[in-house]
Amino acid sequence: MTRSARGLRQSMCAVALALPFLAGGVVSAKAEATRYPLTIENCGHQVTFDKAPKRVVAIGQTQTEILYALGLGDRLVGTAVWFSPVAKRFEAANAGVKRLADNDPSFEAVVAQEPDLVTAMFEWHVGPNGIVGKRDQFAKLKVPAYVSPSDCVGKDNSGAGDGVRTQMFTMELVYRNIREFGQIFDVADKADTLIAELKAREAKAVAAVAGNGAKDIPVTVWFSSKDVKGDAFLAGKNGVPAYILAKLGARNIITTNEEWPLVGWESVAAANPAVIVVVKMDRRRFPADDIDLKLNFLKTDAVASKLDAVRNNRIVVMDVGATRAGLDTVDGIEALAKGIESFGLAK
Amino acid sequence: MSHAPIAPNWPARIAIALAALLALVTAIALAVTIGEMKIPLSTAFQALGNGVFNLGYPVSAIQQGVIFDYRLSRALLAALCGGTLALSGAILQALLRNPLAEPYILGISAGASTGAVAVMILGFGGTVLTLSGGAFLGAIAALAVVALLATGAGGSSDRVILAGVAGSQLFNAATATIVTTLANAEQARGVMFWLLGNFGGVRWPDVWVATPVALICFGICMLHAKVLDAFAFGADAAASLGVAVARVKIVLFATTAVMTATMVSIVGTVGFVGLVIPHAARFLVGPAHARLLPTCLVIGAIFMILADILSRILVPQQILPIGVVTALFGAPAFALILYRARRAT
Repeated sequence: MTRSARGLRQSMCAVALALPFLAGGVVSAKAEATRYPLTIENCGHQVTFDKAPKRVVAIGQTQTEILYALGLGDRLVGTAVWFSPVAKRFEAANAGVKRLADNDPSFEAVVAQEPDLVTAMFEWHVGPNGIVGKRDQFAKLKVPAYVSPSDCVGKDNSGAGDGVRTQMFTMELVYRNIREFGQIFDVADKADTLIAELKAREAKAVAAVAGNGAKDIPVTVWFSSKDVKGDAFLAGKNGVPAYILAKLGARNIITTNEEWPLVGWESVAAANPAVIVVVKMDRRRFPADDIDLKLNFLKTDAVASKLDAVRNNRIVVMDVGATRAGLDTVDGIEALAKGIESFGLAK
Repeated sequence: MSHAPIAPNWPARIAIALAALLALVTAIALAVTIGEMKIPLSTAFQALGNGVFNLGYPVSAIQQGVIFDYRLSRALLAALCGGTLALSGAILQALLRNPLAEPYILGISAGASTGAVAVMILGFGGTVLTLSGGAFLGAIAALAVVALLATGAGGSSDRVILAGVAGSQLFNAATATIVTTLANAEQARGVMFWLLGNFGGVRWPDVWVATPVALICFGICMLHAKVLDAFAFGADAAASLGVAVARVKIVLFATTAVMTATMVSIVGTVGFVGLVIPHAARFLVGPAHARLLPTCLVIGAIFMILADILSRILVPQQILPIGVVTALFGAPAFALILYRARRAT
């Protein structure tokens, strides 16, 4: 909370400082064209582009969809790591693009497309321990690799599991991703427009619940569980869901650093959340991936059914896309804002 | 072979049994009163009274649920699980004459994982088969494969162990293949292992399944206590003492398999307990199975309850895998026992 408040203050200062220059016409409405060779810093590495990439492999649905949103679908020659069906509005663009793998593609499958850019949403696919490939493997083949800043800035991916964020995720990282795509592909105008749209949606959702009612209400986000009745994977304090809660002024009951710590229901009962967000997904690896089983547990368990959130039916269903760093994150902010509003928690 | 050279000292035996029972009850009481949610001791006892005798004390529904439905059932199942795993370990170490034998040596946990994955990801068994049911069937299937392999290879104890290793690898590979090819990508990926031990999902129905299994299997094992003593000198020696080796082996392997498969299907795999508790118990009471088996049951139960308490409270708001705790605290304790045993001899 304090961090984002401070961030807001800083950005307001920046706007105030920039205003005279804006008035002076130093910054034109039209973004500057990219000058190649372009070198950008990405996850601690310098990545250089001699020209705008024309053959891109995207490892990660969020990266794929950001490229579609920037109208760059014709540059994609391969996609991988799909969590759910492609968003409706990108179906046409996606139809002509080869899907290398639903899950993790092999290194050879990626380089066989002769890409001039490989972009990944997670460092565990392309990074120091990348299971698809390490950066120097791609570098040796002269293929630039770009990993979403949302997975490496303020995040430690050296251990096993989903990684540990040392700072809270913010949409600013996704905006940086979009902005850098804008530079790399020389479509800065489109990038700026997309960012402005998303920011406007964020602001609208925040305004909807502005007021004292929603401030500091305890909320938890339940992803899944290995056993429906067992310990639950709940959103940690720094991940994407935590940002959604913080943005709306709600308080995450979980205070651990891990992305999805395993938490006992006794801990949830001790915190007694006012709202429970339940994640809906297509994945079926654990029984509790199924939203119906999660909802049924909440209604029937001896303890969970007595929680304030359940007794008052303050349960928000959020699509899994919202829990990932990408365009859909904003959908999550809107979904929770709508929930908080409809429960009468916002004034 | 003279089995009991000294007349049993009944008062001492009863005193030891009572002390063991007291220690067990104390461990359960600790498990019920310690936890993330701070509940006063008096409230905890009122909740127990409400749950067991329906006394109707005014306890909040959440506290009542946490004490009675979460913590008590969990503590009892931890006790049953720890006890039966230690018991299984002791039996297998005697039958196979191998100090490294443990309950999962016959491929049971690997088979259970495959069964669970088959139900969850492949949709095997439709809506009839639950995850636990799948795990149980998988465990038994793996055991059958290992038994066939072992018998085909001659049936000596080292062949049984090798067959177990081969069977485990095969079923683990099957699980990994299904998960990596058929499940779709998603986060929370750190947990690839299906049946990593966890008491979080335990409720009363699980206790009602596990209790009779544990008691009946313990009874069968105790009936074979003297026969197991004979096995210490090898199957041939046992046969020369008039033991029906083949029948005893089948009965005891089946008993340990049922105990282990039941526990795996309810809580998953918990390492270390089945391997080490029997050795610790042997240092305490000696190798005679009439004393060793009940000792294993009680020490295993207490150890598992304490380990589960630690797994719940070591990291605030987060559960440590129970296997991590059993190894983290069991290994140094066992090292100490080994060290002292060396000094004593």
